[in-house]
Amino acid sequence: MLRAEPLLRIQLVTLASEAQDAALALAQFGVFSPAPVALDALAEAPAMAYREVWLEAEARLAKLLEQCGDTGPLHVPEDAEAPTLADLEALNLWLKSVWNACLECHETATRVEERRQHLAALEDTLAKLEHLNVDLAPLLRADSLLAVRIGSTAAGNFKRLTEALAMTGYLASRFDTVGDQVFAVIAGPRAREEEVNGLLAQAGWHELPVPDELRTHPQAARAWLDAERAQLATQDGASCRMLDGLRARFGPRLNEARLSLALARPLAEAAAVGVRGRGGLAAFSGWIPRRQLADLRSVLEAHFHGRYWLEAREPSREEIADVPSLVRYPGWLKPFVPLVKSYGIPRYGEFDPALPFAVTYLLLFGAMFGDVGHGAVILLLSAALLRRLGRMAWIGVAAGAVSMGFGVLYGSFFGYEDLIEPLWLSPLQDPIRVLTIAIGFGVGFIVFTLLVSTRNKLVAGQVGEALFDATGLAGLVFYLGAVGSLASLAGAADIATPSGFAAALGLTVIAAYKWIEAKAGLGERILVTAIETLETGINLFANTLSFMRVAAFSLNHVALALAVFTLAAGLGTAGHGLTIALGNVVIIMLEGGIVAIQALRLMYYEGFSRFFSADGKAFVPLRLMPQGSEA
Amino acid sequence: MSAYLDTRVSLYASRLWPDAAFDALAQAPDEAIAGTLAARGVPQLVAGYDTPERATEARSLEQRIIGQILEETQVLIRPLSGEARAFLAFWTARFELSNVKTLLRSKMGGERPAAALARLTPMGAFGRLDLQDLAHAEDVGELLRRLEAGPYAAIVHHARRAFEQNPDPFVLDAALDHGYYEGLTQRARPLEEGAGSALRGLMAQLVDRINLVWLLRYRFNYSLPPAQVYYLLIGSRYTLASARLRELAALDSLEAVLDALPAPWHARLAGAPNIPAVFARMEHAAAQQALSVLRSRAPALARAFAYLSLRERDLRAVRAVLRGRHLGLGQADIRLALQRGALEAI
Repeated sequence: MLRAEPLLRIQLVTLASEAQDAALALAQFGVFSPAPVALDALAEAPAMAYREVWLEAEARLAKLLEQCGDTGPLHVPEDAEAPTLADLEALNLWLKSVWNACLECHETATRVEERRQHLAALEDTLAKLEHLNVDLAPLLRADSLLAVRIGSTAAGNFKRLTEALAMTGYLASRFDTVGDQVFAVIAGPRAREEEVNGLLAQAGWHELPVPDELRTHPQAARAWLDAERAQLATQDGASCRMLDGLRARFGPRLNEARLSLALARPLAEAAAVGVRGRGGLAAFSGWIPRRQLADLRSVLEAHFHGRYWLEAREPSREEIADVPSLVRYPGWLKPFVPLVKSYGIPRYGEFDPALPFAVTYLLLFGAMFGDVGHGAVILLLSAALLRRLGRMAWIGVAAGAVSMGFGVLYGSFFGYEDLIEPLWLSPLQDPIRVLTIAIGFGVGFIVFTLLVSTRNKLVAGQVGEALFDATGLAGLVFYLGAVGSLASLAGAADIATPSGFAAALGLTVIAAYKWIEAKAGLGERILVTAIETLETGINLFANTLSFMRVAAFSLNHVALALAVFTLAAGLGTAGHGLTIALGNVVIIMLEGGIVAIQALRLMYYEGFSRFFSADGKAFVPLRLMPQGSEA
Repeated sequence: MSAYLDTRVSLYASRLWPDAAFDALAQAPDEAIAGTLAARGVPQLVAGYDTPERATEARSLEQRIIGQILEETQVLIRPLSGEARAFLAFWTARFELSNVKTLLRSKMGGERPAAALARLTPMGAFGRLDLQDLAHAEDVGELLRRLEAGPYAAIVHHARRAFEQNPDPFVLDAALDHGYYEGLTQRARPLEEGAGSALRGLMAQLVDRINLVWLLRYRFNYSLPPAQVYYLLIGSRYTLASARLRELAALDSLEAVLDALPAPWHARLAGAPNIPAVFARMEHAAAQQALSVLRSRAPALARAFAYLSLRERDLRAVRAVLRGRHLGLGQADIRLALQRGALEAI
């Protein structure tokens, strides 16, 4: 819980013909995170073809499921086998044929829709031509010297098309605009029609076929339009029936395809990281928890009966940065993990800050927002929103409970300081004492972060930094010495001499270390050492003072309540009640939100930034299903 | 904003390659290539020539050059917002449209998605398309419809209609290019009004050059009729405005077109034997103008655009030198391939 689980690097070599089953077994094992294979002798990538086919099939299946709807939950049998490359290729071809059939339905529907729009446009055209009293028959005669065409093009291109047509002696006349389409008549010498054809194709000119019926009597034209519409309705119905037919026909087999692709996923995903091979062999590499090595051997033995070679070793110092972090959290701590991960993932071997984060965050929130009534509201609201907010709601429940606890200590209930007797004291009664305690807490917190930082550096093999740097042991000695000196100066302790000595010693060691580490000319080296050493002192001092905000917000909470009561006091009974109620809502929403952010800020910037490099790699195990979906 | 961008552009300007640097690169021994490239501020290219990393560098030289340009554009647009930011971001969109063209050609050739995906240029923060999804479209029609539902709808919509009328790859490519440059000029227009003549001058050089080269290519290489050639050109309000382009498209030889150009252009291009030579001379003129803007007190956006144009020209020349070396060409041949005259700011 406080650090990542110890992992082993494994190399698994199997028969290439069983690579898909090996990957499936590793995925079912549940805690194998693949990594690139480092065996130089295995130069081939035997699973890449498998991955390519899988990706194509998966994309086709996704499109089909989108068209035909989900075919229900997927159940993976215990003894299921992964498809071979040949099986997968056959499945991919079948999916392609089904998708093409689907696509045809889709195309038909699109064509029907476009035809419908054209008919509507044609009707408009007819209406306009009726008003113009133009006889289309002589205009559209195929043997005329004048070539006339009616059609549509994009409105944005019309001006340019008109100019280009003019170069061939053609005229274009717009008679309607529907959406971004311009409907126009173009006319010009038939001798240059060939030249115009290429131009019109380039312009995406959509010819409006004007049937003979439309060239005669308007009533006959309308009858023709109605008949066309009726025919379109039939076509539309036919395409819908075709789609429904597809669902009924292919639904069960699509479910089988989903299962096959889920079983093929592990090898396809592992191939993306790197499955190497040569001849008839395929090799996987990756990370598993040390304590589950025997389980993995049992799984492999059960599947392959000795037809495999497994090597497991501890990660080398050079590859520590590439080792993923696998941390198992108890259920009650899991809601806090996303807040830690939003800062970063701990490196392998680093101290995992989730537990101290959870405890400290709640303490800080409670201390800054201690009120029995407000805490209860937060608790109840979070509990009520449990279904909507999911696991995160538990943070609200816990924060509300801690707030209530501190409310009992402060004797505060919806801002009233006199309804319940404080178990400790109200912050306004002794602000200096509250400020001192907040700084004391900050000193403890910073000492803790420096200790963790020292430990992390030692684990990472950075002994020099762990002992002599500002965030290591030397920094801790300086900090404790400086705190002791200041406490002695304030009369709270009498340890001025040893504290001063410790502070001077710590600072000298830090400066010496900076001097050695600075790789620059003499002047720059002096500057870097002086500035960085000075920065160490200033940062630690500022970080400590930063914790005064804990006390400030606890005082602020009481002061805000007092302001609300003062406003309410000048109003009548109804106004008084309303102001108190609204004031409490504002305090909960506004101050509650600010305090939640301030507590997070303190954790991130005064805590995590000191010891948490946050550039670790997540342990991503091979799975049958993509992350977030359920089998 | 302006001060930051100005400073950034001035700092970046020192990365531009003097002509002597190309000779030095062409003459450098193999082991010094990485050092030379690093010294001239192209770290993305170093990765490919740094021996220990060569094996792990999967991107092609072209992809790494584009990666370098995108990285610098990303830095330059950081302080920009609104139309200025949209303009420079759209300037990078031509690389993404190039990816689209690769996908379209791969669909026409019935290629597997993985093979097409491997050739695409990673767009980083400028990527607006789900290339994985697009690569798995079944055919050109499905791919175009998917594109039409995305950020390049305005460009693709017209291209799809044109392609449906005439399923010719040329029609599709020409419609996409046309749509892109129309979009670029539209985005430049409000900025030209606000940012003075510098940006307008750069845009004029760009659009006029593209229009003239397209006109010559469509008219005399592809033998398209004048009306279609004119339609394919970018709607221009610069030196070669629409009326002039119509006249030029109607002429029937390269010499006649060059003779009919406005006086300064005619002087610059007279005697150019072929279209590549016309392009090289015009590009040289554009580079001179860009250098002049870069060294002037022009608005920061115009200077940034000038820098990006010059930088891209330099990196294309670097690519030519590296390819020449790879093919074992001599110094003289590499220099000839560069077609690059010395720049003097005007």
